[in-house]
Amino acid sequence: MFQILVVEDERDLNRTVCSFLNNNGYQAEGCLDANEAYEAMYQSTFDLIVSDIMMPGIDGYEFAQTVRSLNEDIPILFMTARDDLASKQRGYRIGIDDYMVKPIDLDELLLRIGALLRRARIAASHKLEIGKLRLDMDQRTAEYDGEEIPLTAREFNILYKLLSYPGKTFTRTQLMDEFWDADTDTAPRAVDVYMTKLRGKCGKCAEFELRTVHGLGYKAVIL
Amino acid sequence: MTGAKRHGALGYFIAFFLLTAFVITSSMLLFLNYFARSAGVEFTPENLFTAAVVTFGNAVFLALICTAVDILRRRIMVGRPVRAIVEAARAVTRGDFSARISPKAAVGASDGFQEIIDCFNTMASELSGVETLRTDFIANVSHELKTPLAVMQNYGTMLQSPDLTEEQRVEYAKAVTEQSRRLADLITNILKLNRLENQQIYPESKRYNLGEQLAECLLSFEDTWEKKSIDIETDLEEEVFVESDGELLSLVWNNLFSNALKFTDPGGTVSVTLKTEGDLAAVRVSDTGCGIPPEVGRHIFEKFYQGDTSRATQGNGLGLALVKRVVDIVGGEITVESEAGRGSTFTVKLRRAA
Repeated sequence: MFQILVVEDERDLNRTVCSFLNNNGYQAEGCLDANEAYEAMYQSTFDLIVSDIMMPGIDGYEFAQTVRSLNEDIPILFMTARDDLASKQRGYRIGIDDYMVKPIDLDELLLRIGALLRRARIAASHKLEIGKLRLDMDQRTAEYDGEEIPLTAREFNILYKLLSYPGKTFTRTQLMDEFWDADTDTAPRAVDVYMTKLRGKCGKCAEFELRTVHGLGYKAVIL
Repeated sequence: MTGAKRHGALGYFIAFFLLTAFVITSSMLLFLNYFARSAGVEFTPENLFTAAVVTFGNAVFLALICTAVDILRRRIMVGRPVRAIVEAARAVTRGDFSARISPKAAVGASDGFQEIIDCFNTMASELSGVETLRTDFIANVSHELKTPLAVMQNYGTMLQSPDLTEEQRVEYAKAVTEQSRRLADLITNILKLNRLENQQIYPESKRYNLGEQLAECLLSFEDTWEKKSIDIETDLEEEVFVESDGELLSLVWNNLFSNALKFTDPGGTVSVTLKTEGDLAAVRVSDTGCGIPPEVGRHIFEKFYQGDTSRATQGNGLGLALVKRVVDIVGGEITVESEAGRGSTFTVKLRRAA
């Protein structure tokens, strides 16, 4: 069972978030300030941290920075009333993984925690498995039912990205920016060519589908 | 006031007296000099004394008449309209914006008063318009804030009842969640709008790809259009850049998209286009929703204005006010075309970056 640390100075909110997570298959522990959180982390290990920003004493930024310097991989989700871009930027620069503005929707929190943990697992293992499909980031190999799917490095990277975030649509430009050189002259439509090739090569896979979203971009949908 | 007036009358009298005395003395001197030289008549001091007294009396009398006539004239041409204006201005100061100056006050008045009176009346009617908006605004805000609170309170009370079925309990709890979410959205919007209206905004201008921003904003509504099975059409010209504040503008797109999706019934279409028009970039967001009647269209960018109160639960009447404010800040232009029953198109035009 995943252990989640909730750092939030508002007692009621802390209690509701913890009991909601406990009722939904996680084991959550609530701390009212950063020092208490350090103490808890010393006692046991956690898989994910949910933290407020505005707290008495050590604030969320400082807390996240300290945690990040000790553990590069643990997902941190900020849950705060601050909705301005500057606060978000500061958070992401420190190395947090997600940001939610209060009042938060508990169902959405659950979805995001699920996605964060899933990506953390993929990131830690460098392997992705969906049904009979196995992708290995270190080897850059894709196998379906034990049979290798020949993919170029770029095709592999695009597929790996889309399958790491199932259901999320990426625009052509987002994919271009990530998988093509910055100085490339290729038009964003070049992505279309790769998607067609990928669809052809993954034709046998019944577990997922690469969908075009209204001319805006692409997403992988796990069936 | 009266003291000043009396002082004024005495001053006018002295002025008129000096003027009459000067005119009479000069004429008499000229006439007598000429008369004495040509007729060779000598005046005795007695003659002169009597004549001087009579003439002085004449001068005093003439000056009195002149002063009286002048005071009367002033009363009609200046005093009356001034009094009317002062009274109306005092009424407005007391907060009575229905005060108007009767055009009769200007009958026979000096030039210019008519103009002042017209201006004043226009000003007063504008002020009363603003006042109506302000009271409406306060009424709307309190309604929007209190309704969700009232609903939550009621459901909270009902939840305390011991003999509820599980179904009822879940339903009531859901209603409380739904209403608190609505209140939270409203407060977020009020705070945003307040920040945009009351602070000097320094937009952080950066050159960026507008089409990409539109695509990314639109994609954040993917769940919504899939749930409502709304068809999305996009025609985004590539490589259109603007130099503007992306975070502020994303408020515009998010609000326009969410409105379009909100007011379009399942099975409808929402389309988003981006086209260059000369040195402008034109973004059009169209829906096949209920449309906006013209009398509503004039007000939709006003705070808390909601065209159709039956749809009020779906929004809080602040979205388009926010949109308008942001478009003004970044120096763009927003227009709306709509036909009731057929849908609406919002067009935002921004200056393109090279």
